[in-house]
Amino acid sequence: MAWPSSDRVVFPVGLLATLLVLVTVFYYPVGRVLLAAINPGGTPLAPIVEILADPFYLGVAHHVFADPMGVPAGVLTWLADGAPLSAVEFGLFGFTAYQAALSALASVALGLPGAYVLARFDFWGRQTLTSLTIVPFVLPSILVAVGFQAMFGRTGLFNDLLGVVGLGPIEVLYSLPAIVIAHAFYNAPLVTRFVTSAWEGIDAREIESARSMGATPIRAFRDVVLPQLRPALLSATLLAFVFSFMSFPIVLALGGLELQTVEVWLYAKVQSLDLEAAAALAVLESAISLAIMYIYLRYESGQIVSHTGGRSRSRRSLVAGWRTLSDPRRLAVLAYGCVAAVVFLGPILSLLIESVTGPEGAFTTAYYEFLLARQASTAVGTIAPLTAIRNSVLFALGTLATAVPMGVIVSLVATRSGRGSRLAETLLSAPIAVSGIVVGLGLLQTLVFGVEVLGHRLTVTGWIAVVAAHAVAAYPFVTRNVTPALAGIDDRLVETARSLGATRFRALLTVTLPLIVAPLVAGAAFAFAISIGEFDSTVLLAEGGASHTMPVALERYVGNRSIGPSLGPATAMGTVLLAVTAASFVVIDRVGGRYDG
Amino acid sequence: MFAPETARNITTQSNNQVVKRRTFLRTAGISVAGATALAGCSDAEQTEEGSPTATETDTATETSTAARTGTTTGTPMAERTLQVATYSSFTGEGTAGNWLKSAFESAHDGVTVEFVTPENGLNQYILRRQQGAPLDVDAYVGLNTSELVRADQELDGSLFATPDLERAGDVKPELQADPRGRAIPYDTGYISLVYDESEVENPATFDTLTTDPYRGDLIAQNAQQSDPGRAFLLWTIAEKGPDGYLDYWRDLLDNDVTILSDWEPAYQAYQNEEAPMVVSYSTDQVYYHGEGVDMSRHQVGFLNDQGYANPEMMGLFTDANAPEIGRQFMDFALSPEAQAEIAVRNVQFPAVEGVDPGAEFSQYADEPGEPVTFTYDELAGNVEGWIEDWAREVSA
Repeated sequence: MAWPSSDRVVFPVGLLATLLVLVTVFYYPVGRVLLAAINPGGTPLAPIVEILADPFYLGVAHHVFADPMGVPAGVLTWLADGAPLSAVEFGLFGFTAYQAALSALASVALGLPGAYVLARFDFWGRQTLTSLTIVPFVLPSILVAVGFQAMFGRTGLFNDLLGVVGLGPIEVLYSLPAIVIAHAFYNAPLVTRFVTSAWEGIDAREIESARSMGATPIRAFRDVVLPQLRPALLSATLLAFVFSFMSFPIVLALGGLELQTVEVWLYAKVQSLDLEAAAALAVLESAISLAIMYIYLRYESGQIVSHTGGRSRSRRSLVAGWRTLSDPRRLAVLAYGCVAAVVFLGPILSLLIESVTGPEGAFTTAYYEFLLARQASTAVGTIAPLTAIRNSVLFALGTLATAVPMGVIVSLVATRSGRGSRLAETLLSAPIAVSGIVVGLGLLQTLVFGVEVLGHRLTVTGWIAVVAAHAVAAYPFVTRNVTPALAGIDDRLVETARSLGATRFRALLTVTLPLIVAPLVAGAAFAFAISIGEFDSTVLLAEGGASHTMPVALERYVGNRSIGPSLGPATAMGTVLLAVTAASFVVIDRVGGRYDG
Repeated sequence: MFAPETARNITTQSNNQVVKRRTFLRTAGISVAGATALAGCSDAEQTEEGSPTATETDTATETSTAARTGTTTGTPMAERTLQVATYSSFTGEGTAGNWLKSAFESAHDGVTVEFVTPENGLNQYILRRQQGAPLDVDAYVGLNTSELVRADQELDGSLFATPDLERAGDVKPELQADPRGRAIPYDTGYISLVYDESEVENPATFDTLTTDPYRGDLIAQNAQQSDPGRAFLLWTIAEKGPDGYLDYWRDLLDNDVTILSDWEPAYQAYQNEEAPMVVSYSTDQVYYHGEGVDMSRHQVGFLNDQGYANPEMMGLFTDANAPEIGRQFMDFALSPEAQAEIAVRNVQFPAVEGVDPGAEFSQYADEPGEPVTFTYDELAGNVEGWIEDWAREVSA
């Protein structure tokens, strides 16, 4: 009897299912939109060329496309003028990349020390705090804007605090620093979470043997720890850059139109139905993101240090009585804690305060009563908060269950040797490198409007479509967490298991997976977070009341005028969203943690 | 509340409607590519019962379709549904939309009004028509003139029909933006400044806004994505001319105007005292009055004694499944009673002449001395270029 071995079934079927989902809710819809730039009514690629040749978009680099022959002469003239830097304009793309680079650096500066603290120190509530690091990630931008205004505004909490110690006031809103800090608020958690899980996976014995061979602690850190952190750190930095590069609502909410990015412009093009220009911008945006990602992945594959798993190092206690205040390392940690409290806790705390503060500054419960009234109302067009919570949690669980296997499968593809696998992973990571606005437009034009198949108009909507769309947006987080860990597993371990008769699938389950539990759980938490925060494809694909998730409810409450125009009800719903997601993250980590070690 | 006379009206009208609708479908069926979808409804006046595939459907929960039976005539009259696309805050508890729905349903036996609230507004239907996908809706509520211009520019045939309403003539002439009479205004707002009189004086003119005492004092909105933002931009174009508005905005930008995405964040920033003036509506005080409210922070400032009128309009789609109910619905929205309700619930001025929205509204809502607005013909072919040039100027 020759049953096909599980290797021949499980992996190919999983890969096929993954590709099917990707093609249906991502490649086909997005391809349809981008085609407008590649093959428009007129000359092929004309919309893209038009943008490349426009100084508004590309600044000084537009000459390369507008008049390539004139470039050398132009450079000479510029040099003859004494090379004035003020004459060099970078255009919309230049500015977008510049603010994204600053944002990525800020994310590392704020996120990396956090990973160090969480991985190397022990203190009360450490595990819960680790779980909660990604909470900022799910906050809808309107709430981040409210939180930032209430924290860093002219009359905000931060200026009140500065006033107490006789400093300030400072004005940061509607400036580049405000955007950069907000992007760090969103993306530093990526850095912290990615690096923490890599740090925790380092085998204590490797460091001990390095030390026993006479390496100084710094040397041991440089030779043993750093190489194992680098992939996770760079991976998170890359994501922070890509997300900040394509950031949209937060830029206008905290920076203003003078600091607009490519994505803001793309949105305006979609709004005015100039779909060729929108597609052209999206093509360029994604090309840049994917190119950077590909270069990085090539680099990453050469950086992986194999490890065999083993015992984690013991953490030192953060608080050590009076000695805490004399130990420079612990003092630095406390100082970092203060900064983190201002940047992360500050806006969230301000948001909570806003949800119980009336327009004249007095305490009010009106916004929570508003939620209760929505819950009790039977009027048409009303979203009940409990329905929204239920829908959000169900979609998120569905997403988690779909995105984790998808992510692992893609990671397995990515870690196979061969040049093609870097390219494959790059292409499979496209969901994080394509503008969300374009994905939404694509879904609308294909799955929602329907596609003519044999004379029938076929539409694909409903909760399965929503979960599929969320999973596609979420699985790259699983992949990015898992791939470095997977690549680092010593091949000999798997080979030994195989030589003892285990199938490849069984070896995956019994040998490989236990070694990557920490990154897997981190990826799962991100998948959950992505789904909870998702708005665009949910409202497009869900039918009837199923679209009523927490971010959708929140957006509706923003427009609701029943207690006057106020963001109060949205802040109350935002508080509910925070509570639900925070609790979920703790549960995910606790459940996932049981399988660790 | 609704006299028997109304009921009689309906009987005759609905008989009419069956005939009209059949002829209509015959003509429309040819021009629409997505014929499969239309086939389902062309055979009877029964509209599809199941939930439509359109995005975001808020199906009626308070009026069950099955519970209502036609009782007006001997002819068996099937229940009919009017699908109305609108923006999300038009429906919900206590809104103008829900009031219209229940008032219209009680006046028209067997009729159900359902609201659909697509996230991308009218673009949803322009794109559907472009692709030959079924619209699945009959009427649209919440149009503005620029959107109508865009629809005509993008599509070969008109997205909207001329509804020939009995009350169309009652609408204030200065609000009638569409020369073809397709888009019917049902209310209007006037864009103005709202300012804090304890911080600044009413600037009163456009030119004062660019002077030093007002440096950093104004918050406006992005004309590419915000209604009041676009209206304010158009107002500056009306005032400074298509050749002069960019210079004016350069001065405003030099004077540190802040341009945020939309009305909510802008007003939130104003309330947080980030700046003492914000572009908003002249009905501001209708929301903010009463005990403990500091009215000095809710002063309405018109510029050059003008306010930019931003009429909200409704339209009937050319291949509506229920054009006659749609027509009746639109006519109903122009009735004096509905006009007063819409004004109060939407906090906007009535579009129909001589309607009294009540003492409280009139006391707190300010009307400008001279309402200005661009007509359809003035915007056609221009508005998108104006906005793009402006956005480039701001971003540069």
